[in-house]
This record gives sequence, structure tokens and C-alpha cells, in this order.
Amino acid sequence: MTAGTVARARTTPPDDPAPERRRGVLARVPVLVWVFLAVPLAVELFWVFWPAFNSFSLSFTSWKGVGAAQPVGLANYERLVADPVFHTALVNNVIWVVGFGGLSVIGGLGLAVALNRPGRAVGFYRSAIYLPMVVSLAVTGLFWRVMYQPDGPIDAGLHGLGLGEWSRQWLADPDTALYAVLIAAVWRQVGYIMVLYLAGLKGCDPTLEEAAAVDGANAWQRFWRVVMPQLRGVNTVIFAVTVIDSLRTFDIVWAMTRGGPYNTTQLLSTYMFQQGFTLVNLGYGSAIAVVIFLLAIAFIITYLVRQSRSEDVS
Amino acid sequence: MNLSRRRFLMGTAAVGAIPLLASCVGSGADAGPSAGAATTLTLQSSIQDAGPKAAMESVVAAFTGPKTTLNSVATEQFRAQLSTYLSSSTPPDVLAWYAGSVANTYAQQGLLLDVSDLWAPGGACAKFSPALKALSTAADGKSIFVPTSYYWWSVFYKKSAFTQWGIQPPTTWDGFIALCDQLKARGIHPLTNGIGSTAWMTSGWFDYLNLRINGATYHRELLAGKHSFEDKQVTDVLDQYKRLIPYFHPNQTSWDAQQAVQPMVNNEAAMYLVGAFCTQYFPKDQQGDLDFFSVPPINPAVPSAEEAPTDGFFAAAGSKNPEGARQLLSYLASPAAQQSFIQKSGSSNMPTSPEVDTSTFSPLVQKGIKLLNETKEITQFFNRDSSDALQTTADAALTKFIADPSDIGAAQRNWQAAAKQVFTS
Amino acid sequence: MSVINRPRSGWFHVIMVPFTLLWLAPILFAAMIAVRSFDDIAARGLGALPTSFSLEGFATAFGGGRVAAALVNSAVVTVATVVVTLALAAVAAFALARFRIPFRRTILLFMLAGNLLPPQILLIPVSRITQALGIYDTLLALVVVQVGFGLGFYTFVLHGFMRSLPTEVFEAAVLDGAGPARTFWSVVLPLCRPALAALAALATTWIFNDLIWAMTVLRTESKFPITAALLNLQGGFSSSWNVIAAGSLVAAVPTAIVFFLFQKQFVSGLLVGSNK
Repeated sequence: MTAGTVARARTTPPDDPAPERRRGVLARVPVLVWVFLAVPLAVELFWVFWPAFNSFSLSFTSWKGVGAAQPVGLANYERLVADPVFHTALVNNVIWVVGFGGLSVIGGLGLAVALNRPGRAVGFYRSAIYLPMVVSLAVTGLFWRVMYQPDGPIDAGLHGLGLGEWSRQWLADPDTALYAVLIAAVWRQVGYIMVLYLAGLKGCDPTLEEAAAVDGANAWQRFWRVVMPQLRGVNTVIFAVTVIDSLRTFDIVWAMTRGGPYNTTQLLSTYMFQQGFTLVNLGYGSAIAVVIFLLAIAFIITYLVRQSRSEDVS
Repeated sequence: MNLSRRRFLMGTAAVGAIPLLASCVGSGADAGPSAGAATTLTLQSSIQDAGPKAAMESVVAAFTGPKTTLNSVATEQFRAQLSTYLSSSTPPDVLAWYAGSVANTYAQQGLLLDVSDLWAPGGACAKFSPALKALSTAADGKSIFVPTSYYWWSVFYKKSAFTQWGIQPPTTWDGFIALCDQLKARGIHPLTNGIGSTAWMTSGWFDYLNLRINGATYHRELLAGKHSFEDKQVTDVLDQYKRLIPYFHPNQTSWDAQQAVQPMVNNEAAMYLVGAFCTQYFPKDQQGDLDFFSVPPINPAVPSAEEAPTDGFFAAAGSKNPEGARQLLSYLASPAAQQSFIQKSGSSNMPTSPEVDTSTFSPLVQKGIKLLNETKEITQFFNRDSSDALQTTADAALTKFIADPSDIGAAQRNWQAAAKQVFTS
Repeated sequence: MSVINRPRSGWFHVIMVPFTLLWLAPILFAAMIAVRSFDDIAARGLGALPTSFSLEGFATAFGGGRVAAALVNSAVVTVATVVVTLALAAVAAFALARFRIPFRRTILLFMLAGNLLPPQILLIPVSRITQALGIYDTLLALVVVQVGFGLGFYTFVLHGFMRSLPTEVFEAAVLDGAGPARTFWSVVLPLCRPALAALAALATTWIFNDLIWAMTVLRTESKFPITAALLNLQGGFSSSWNVIAAGSLVAAVPTAIVFFLFQKQFVSGLLVGSNK
């Protein structure tokens, strides 16, 4: 699968048939094909959209899991606005999107540029950097919890380098806990972004770079003025993927800190889980889920609009 | 084959209507298959520690009644799914948990099986103490809980370490503080604790300070929401807690309850206020070296009190095999099963049945039994006396307080605000 | 590949080797801890170099921790989900890509949106719906939920792939008198093999590593997949780090094997559909 390849032959049926042909368009589609579409669509409607709708209606109730749910109108949302833990979670999510998203993109891009060359050793490096992606988030969290333990490998390393006074209770100190988890998450994500950028770089035209070099541009200018514009498509994908993943992050924070110490590493997703499943405040948990959904939908719409526009172009 | 647009739309509507009919989340109706009485049993347990879990498995395997499947689920998972378990149409028949707020809440909603017949004369629990009976009875007078073991909290230490340092267990509060100062001056951490992933350990000292300063009655009422966390009594407790903070091992914030014994193993820390379950955390050759003393009295006007969390089982009202469930509960409460469990688990639990021969238990456990027999009041523990939701507020408030004890007033205000949320929701 | 990148191989490797080793450090440390004994860790802490070699961590994980059974559960769920999801996604993509269904682009984007939703919004209702349907606490529920949740993305990717197939192939099949079923089975599927392989490799990793759905719909310990079983290893009062590390490593091995076997497909799988 090489990026940027455009099939020369006409690959799609004409998108805009003449109006007089439209009347019969349904007639041209066999029943079996309707079934082909209807079954998966029904599955998705039932298991994804119906529960999402239910969450919306649950967010207007107060429910402890047994008996009937009590409708409470907007009370859950009013409580959200006044809830200091929710504010912390919201702020943390912004930090997460910027930090996790920013660092993994910069790291991924840098590594992709550095490793965009042939060689078996380079192949090994790429595999090694991608390997964390294969390990589950929960397992990653456990690995890093081990690393961050007092007198654990990180502290031992700091002592060995003579930086002993930098060691602290990484996961228990509210100032460092979120960033400690962030580093673990970035460690895992960088491989994925690197691979996406490597693919994008493969689609870049080397002759353009050579021409720029001949014109006297240095490496930095070549990168920004020639290579980066060609990565625009990949950048869109990475932007969307990163933002959506940031809003969905749950496993790694839950495995490492459960949202602690005293709620300083709560993200919206972990707070929702705590409220909905640990404390069984199902109405309130659903309200938080709705907020996550609304934030995600803003980005999803942007992404989908761009996708459909690029479909128009191709 | 042709398909008109109208038929297509109707077909889609039909497909879409199926989910609408199939479920209405939150309506309280439960559409599930209702079978006749089942012949097997499911025991849902949250016991995770290696020793007790293995002991549980062997005790269940020895049960001669209906075939029982034992599921051990992570405690956190168990708590999260408990309401789902109890309200499903095929709930687990018997569940391991503890007495207290959780059980009472579910009893109020009619989700727990009435096992008063086990407490009636001739039943498995008939000879248990009145305190245990009171603990196992819901507000409506029906017994819904079967206690099978309990343990006590105290300040644990190693006898050989104390001998080496030339110190004695203190009998007064001032003596205790003086001892801590002494140890600190010698480079030993006087106290250890594990409040990282087990943040509820902070409530151990809070509970005991509250019991010693204000008494068990005030403590229970505070946890039930009858007093405010901004009271002067709570300020007194936090003042004493503040005095203790410099004595704790600095790594306590990253450790869990088990890792907290690490410095004690190496004689780098001296004392640990913890439940008797801590004995299994020590290497085997040090377990015999352990001893304990009760937290010294602070306010002489207050009756003696100890914390003795009680574990046991309850049954789901919706169980498909209520007779089998009762059989299993009777078996678990029987002296033989209790003895077997305690011996195999290697933990320092005590039996609730007075018919168990305790003379074979370790001297430590016998001392613990004596301690509880001589004390006037027994409480359970913060979350068992109040609720898991209030425990969460305590975890946040106390860990924050330990990190920064400078503003006690603010700590109390924030705690009260969070607690108010819990009591009014 | 740019000719301007003259590999200065000496310096490059000097930097990359330690960097890569540092990158693998957490996994290596977990391996070190997994082979220490419980008493060693209790006495000397986690950061100390191992002075003992003991496989008791693995023994406990496989014994009381039931890691082996959990791996089987994970394998069953993963294989079933991958097969069903790709089958459904392939037929849906075929319908949307090669037939003039009205609003097909909207439907496609609608399906994709389903996969982009944060799963948190679905957890509570899904646990109740599975109960109402009577499939709560079954591996079937876990399979079905994950099929529904992942369908949109795979449909979207396969749709893009199928659109790029040349029309001559379809015209030939129509001339041969093949209906949609035969066209799909004997023409489209073989051509889609690379895309399907890539998606299967990716999907295996995602589904095997899922935690949140398993926590939501399962309650019987013997049915837990490996991710949930690992959480169980962390005791209510205590945790044996050597057991947890051993279990974590064992959990990482299957996906690592899949990754190394299907490396090429993995990478191409990430790209299919991302570049038009």
C-alpha cells in the first residue's frame, strides 16, 4: 500500500448520474446488497448509537443501579459546573491533549525523519520504538508503576547519576503525578505516530528536495518548506487521531494512579468511571460521559468534514 | 429484484424498533429468563490476597451441599458491579463482603435474602455474640448477614527490634509521642504506613484518634452525617494527626499497605497502625516476632474502643436457589469451616463462632481476642461504618492533609463540602 | 527515499543504540522483577538488582492468577471478534463502495463516527442492555460489543480500498453473470487480501489489549481475558510485584508475536485509508 497512488483507470461509478436515471437507482441495487449493508448497520445502531442515546437520557436522572431511575432534570449538569474535581479533570484533559498530543507528534515526527533510511539496524530501531504500542495500556501502566516506585529503577538511576535530590514520590506527588503518567503514555504513542509519519514521508517526492538543495536551501529550510507541506494529509489524520485518543485515554491513568493522589490526575474518562462504576452514581457518571461526547464530537465533525472533502477531491 | 423506497424505509424502521422494544435502560424492569430453582450455587468473592483466596477455595471445595462455583473478583471490580450483581435476574447466590452501610443499603432495597432463621435458636449463627447479631441486622429487624471472621487493628511492632533499641510499648499518649521523638532522633522512622494505592489507610489513624479523643458514639454519628466535619472535635483530631505526620516514613505516599512493612523488615521503621492482616506481609521467619499494643488513651473521659472489621457473607434475594444459599451460609458459619479457613489462610483472623477452639491459634491472635473482649466499644472501619462514597472523600481529604497540614480549617471545610455532596445525593 | 540523507553511520548508531535500549528499559525492568522472589523484593525493594532468580512469580501468576485460562479467553474473544467484524465490515464496505445506495457517503461517515465515540458514553447502558438480553457475563457479550464498536472504522478503511479497485474487474464479473454474492466472494475478497491482513493484524492487537469492555460486561473470574485477570493480580490489601510483572510480560507476549510475524501488514494497516 503506497501512499499517494492514484489509480489511473476510472475507479468509481459516476457520482452524479443524470436526473432521469435517479428514479430507478434503488431498483438497480439488489436486495442482497441491502442486506449486506443493513446487518452491520443494525449491529452498530444497536450497540453504539442506542447506548449513546441511553446515556443522554440517563444523564437527566439520578440512579443507583437498582430500581427505577429518578428524573432530576438538569441537576447533574448543575452539579458538574460546581464540582471542583470536574474542573480539575477538565484542566487535566487540556494539559493531556496538549502534552500527550504535542509530545507524541513532535517525537514521532523527529524519529520518523531520523529513521527514514534503509538498513537492517534501522529496521530494528523502528521495531523497538513501535514495540510498546503492541503492549496493552494497562500493562504499560503497570510497567511504569514499577519504574516510578520509590527506590525503583528511575530513582536508582538518578542516584547513580548523582542527581539523587531530584528523586521524589513520582506518582504520589500531585505536582508530578500527571506528568509521570503522561511520559508513560507518550512513550507508548510515539511509535504509532512515527509509523504514520514514515508512511507520509515515503510519499514525499525526493526530487523536490533535491531541487531545493541545488537552490541552496539548508536542511532545516528543506524540511519546513518542501517536506512538511507534502505531509498535510498525514497531519490531518494524526491531528484527529491524537485529539480523539486524548479524550478517550482511560486504561493507562487508571492502571497507574486511579485518578489520585486526591483527584489530581483525574481525567474526564477516569472521573466518569469512578462516578459511574465505583460509586455507582449512574446519572452523574452519564452526565460526565455526555460532556466527553460533546467535546469529542466537535473534533469528529471537523475530521469527518475534511475526510469527505478529500473524498470529493479524489 | 426490485425494492421500492417505501418498503426500504419500513424495513429500516422495523430494524430500528427492535432495540427500542428490547431494552429500556433505567426503567427498572428486568427482562431476563426466569428459570425454576437451580441446583448449583455461585459464590462471588472479593478476597484477593493469596493466602485467604487459596483458603477460600479449599473451604468451598469441601462443601458437601450443591456444587458451588467460586468466583474471585478484584475488590474494586466487585464493588463497582455489586449493584449489577444483586439486581440481575440471575444473581450470584452468595456474596462475600462485610457488614455495614453497603449491606444495609441493599437490604433496604430488598435485594438481600432474609436469613433470620440462621440466627434463630438452632441455626448456624445462634451462638454468636449479640454485638455480631446487631451488626448483621438491617433496619427492618431482619438479619441479612452472616459474619464468619473478624480481625482487629492495633499498633504492630517487632519484639526483637524493641529489645534491640531498648524501648517498651508506651501506655500513655504523651509516652507514645516521646517514644516517637526518641526513635526519630536515633535515625529510625517511628511510624510507617502505605497510603498510595490504598489511600484508605489514612483513615486508620483518623478513626483511632477520633475514638480516643471524642469517643465511639461521636465517631459513629460523624460518619452517619449527624455532625459536621467542621466541628471543633474534628479539629482536635486533626491537630493530633498533624503531630504524627513528621514521624511517618516519607515513602508512605507511594506505597500500598503491603509495601509499608518493608522498612520494618529491615528495622528501619518501628511501628505500624494496621489490621492484623499485616502478619502475612512479613517474611515467614519474622511473623513470630510480631506483637502489638493498643493506641494509648488520650481522653480519659471516653470509654475504650477498638476497630474490629467483620467479614462475612450475604445472599441475594433473587437467588435461584435460596435453600442452597442458606445451606452454604450455614456451612461457612460453622465452626469447622471457620477454623479451616483461618488456619489455611495464614492470616490473623479471628472466628466469629464461639465454638471454635482458639487455643490452637497463635499467641498473637489470642492476645487480639483478649483485647476485643476487654474493650467497651467496637467499630468497624471508616468505610464500613459510613459508605464507600464517604470513604472517597476521606481519602482525598486526609492524603491532602498529610501532604500539606498547614491549614486545618481549609481541610475541614473542603471535606465537609465533599461529605455534604455524599449525604445529599 | 531522499538521496540527500547521507547516512553518517558511525554517530547515528552511537546515538540510536543507547536511545533504543533506554526505550526498551521499562520492559526490561519488568522482566528483571518478574524473575525475583517475593522475599527478595520485600527486603530490598524494587530498584535493587536481582540477587535471586526465581520463577515463583510466573508460577503464582499461572496458578492462582489463572493467567493461562485468561489467555485462552483472550484468544477466543479476539479471534471471534476479528473474524465477525471483518466479515461484516467487508460486506458493508462492498455495498457502499460499489453500489449506488442513496446517502452512501453519509452512511459511511455515520458508521465511522460510531467508532470515534468515547467508549465511556456507552459503558453504563451497554452493561444494562447485555443484562436485559440475558447475555451479561458471557464471552458472547464481549464479542458482540466489540464488534459493534469497531465496525465503523474497518468499514471505512475497506471502503476506501474497494473504491480503488479497477472497475474492469467488476464489469467482467457482471458479464459472466455473477450476482453480488459471487462477485463479493470470488472477486472482491481475494483482491482485498492485503487490506484484510493488515486490518486483522491491527484488530488483533486492539481487541486483545482491551480492558474497559471486559470490565463492564464480565463478572465470572474464569471468563476474564488477560487484561482483566492482570488487574485481579493486584490484591485488595497487597500486591506481589513479581507476580504482576510476570503476568504483564506473559500478557505482552502474544501481541508481540503477532506484531513480529505481521510487521509489514501492521504498518500498511495503519496507512490503508489514511491517504487518499
